[in-house]
Amino acid sequence: MGPVGITPVADGEYLVDADGRRERVYAAGPAHDRWAFWNGRVYRLVEPSAPRARLRRDRAGAVQAIAAPMPATVIKVLVSAGQTVRKGDAVVVLEAMKMELPIRATNDAVVAAVRCAPGDLVQADATLVELT
Amino acid sequence: MIHRLLIANRGEIAVRIIRACRELGIESVAVYSDADSRAPHVVAADRAVPIGPARASESYLSIPRIVDAARQAQADAVHPGYGFLAENAAFADACASAGLVFVGPPAAVIGRMGSKIEARQLVQAAGVPIVPGDTPQHQSDEGVSEALRRVGLPALVKAAAGGGGKGMRRIADPGEALDAIQAARREAIAAFGDGTLYVERLIERGHHVEVQVFGDSHGRIVHLFERDCSVQRRHQKIIEESPSPVLTPALRERMTAAAVAAARAAGYINAGTVEFLVDVSTGGPGPAPFYFLEMNTRLQVEHPVTEEVTGLDLVRAQLLVAAGEPLPWDAAHIGLRGHAIEARIYAEDPAANFVPQAGRLLLYREPRLPGVRIDSGVSEGSDIPVHYDPIIAKVIASAETRPLAIARLNAALRAFPILGVHTNVPFLLRVLEDASFQRGEIDTAFLDREGARLTVADDAIPEWVRRVMALGDQSQAVSPGQPQRTPGTWDPWG
Repeated sequence: MGPVGITPVADGEYLVDADGRRERVYAAGPAHDRWAFWNGRVYRLVEPSAPRARLRRDRAGAVQAIAAPMPATVIKVLVSAGQTVRKGDAVVVLEAMKMELPIRATNDAVVAAVRCAPGDLVQADATLVELT
Repeated sequence: MIHRLLIANRGEIAVRIIRACRELGIESVAVYSDADSRAPHVVAADRAVPIGPARASESYLSIPRIVDAARQAQADAVHPGYGFLAENAAFADACASAGLVFVGPPAAVIGRMGSKIEARQLVQAAGVPIVPGDTPQHQSDEGVSEALRRVGLPALVKAAAGGGGKGMRRIADPGEALDAIQAARREAIAAFGDGTLYVERLIERGHHVEVQVFGDSHGRIVHLFERDCSVQRRHQKIIEESPSPVLTPALRERMTAAAVAAARAAGYINAGTVEFLVDVSTGGPGPAPFYFLEMNTRLQVEHPVTEEVTGLDLVRAQLLVAAGEPLPWDAAHIGLRGHAIEARIYAEDPAANFVPQAGRLLLYREPRLPGVRIDSGVSEGSDIPVHYDPIIAKVIASAETRPLAIARLNAALRAFPILGVHTNVPFLLRVLEDASFQRGEIDTAFLDREGARLTVADDAIPEWVRRVMALGDQSQAVSPGQPQRTPGTWDPWG
């Protein structure tokens, strides 16, 4: 790409002139979680260190946390500590925006701990169940 | 005449009703939960009453709290919008008992049409074709299985109190019948508190075509033509249009007459919708067969499509009719002009199995374009709460022909930046550009059958977008409604 001219035209709105073309791009969000819109498409850049991971592993790689993908209400807990689960088994059912969302085990494992109960309102990335 | 109207709803439909109130000189009263205290519908209304916690069952779904709010605000009428309590006969009754005008049909009509079994019997008696099916004599597993055998497979088991695909199961193989019956019953009890089931033959490639009807308390019933809502994902409509691309004038004539007959049989008053399934798969020389599905006793999400092609204001008419006035239109003057198409923008991530999104709208700019109407209940800086339906806005494009309306909707979606939550816009664009859709061939199961090829993958970020993203956040404090202008040209790489 040759020389690029970026003209801010309003808060978060930019005209980008490059290679004889003019594109209208919108951007918002802090540096570690940046969003942009262009021509009906949405782009998001999240810094790897940002709190985004849905699946976390401790240093030994032994414990995995199954986390909520979004803020939601826990409507069912389908497992209890000590139980064996298979990859793909639903462990918790969340409800958000009138939709039920089963949260599934990511691999064959044993439930180390259950960190939520029916009725709980959980935030995004909150740990629901720990597997070993 | 209504003087002060309480709107028992939130979001875009509450904003839409408030607009009609303003035009009619009616005072509007918004209600809001703890999650909505600064929501656009609260800001737009003349007054606002808090009704409880964010959880809908303790606020927007609580009949006593809403009736109390109406009393407190000294409202004389209540508009339920759609969803929440809109099709709850007990709510209509409670309003009547409290001396409030309910903007909708009488409670008895809501109850009658709310029972899908009763509604089927009622319209069939009025000569309206219904989907071939069977109501089990006994609601036991064996009784429902018996009904399934009489109807033949593939079939649908449906909840009598149902709607929105809940308590519904498709059965293609006798081996899966028992599980499906039990699951449908469980879901129906959980969703509606009523596990009564019935069975319908499955129409594999049906088009969902619904007719808008309107009755007044002086015995008049008119229709306002049809809407085609065949573009559905898991029984959720996402694109609606009028007129339907599959109706011939002869079929339109028959279906609108059937809808009026159904409404008349129900004793219908106010705005309602008669839903039909049109079976175009038969492909014979005669008109395609159509079947009554159900009647929605309320204003529909997709009502703007009808408003655009008829030029009529449905919410205004609802308020007039509720006050006892005659319908403001003559059937002879209701015409259909051009084409209108609506897309529902939902906060959901099409690249991650359509998981609903919650969060703050970091940037939200509705385009202003000719022939494009946007009904929304959010604004820049507002939160999409986790507690309610994730609809952000409806974009309605009108033009003289269907292809032009589709092109206009496409352009509007491409000029509508929404940042901070993922939306289904990339998926909507794929559908609008799909050849089957453009030929008007999409049936209700199309997206569930072939949606995989429309699924949106994460795109590589184009260089010009990446450059803008690298600029970082130019404005630390985004104050809604007050965009900060930064004039001038500069070139960080110059």
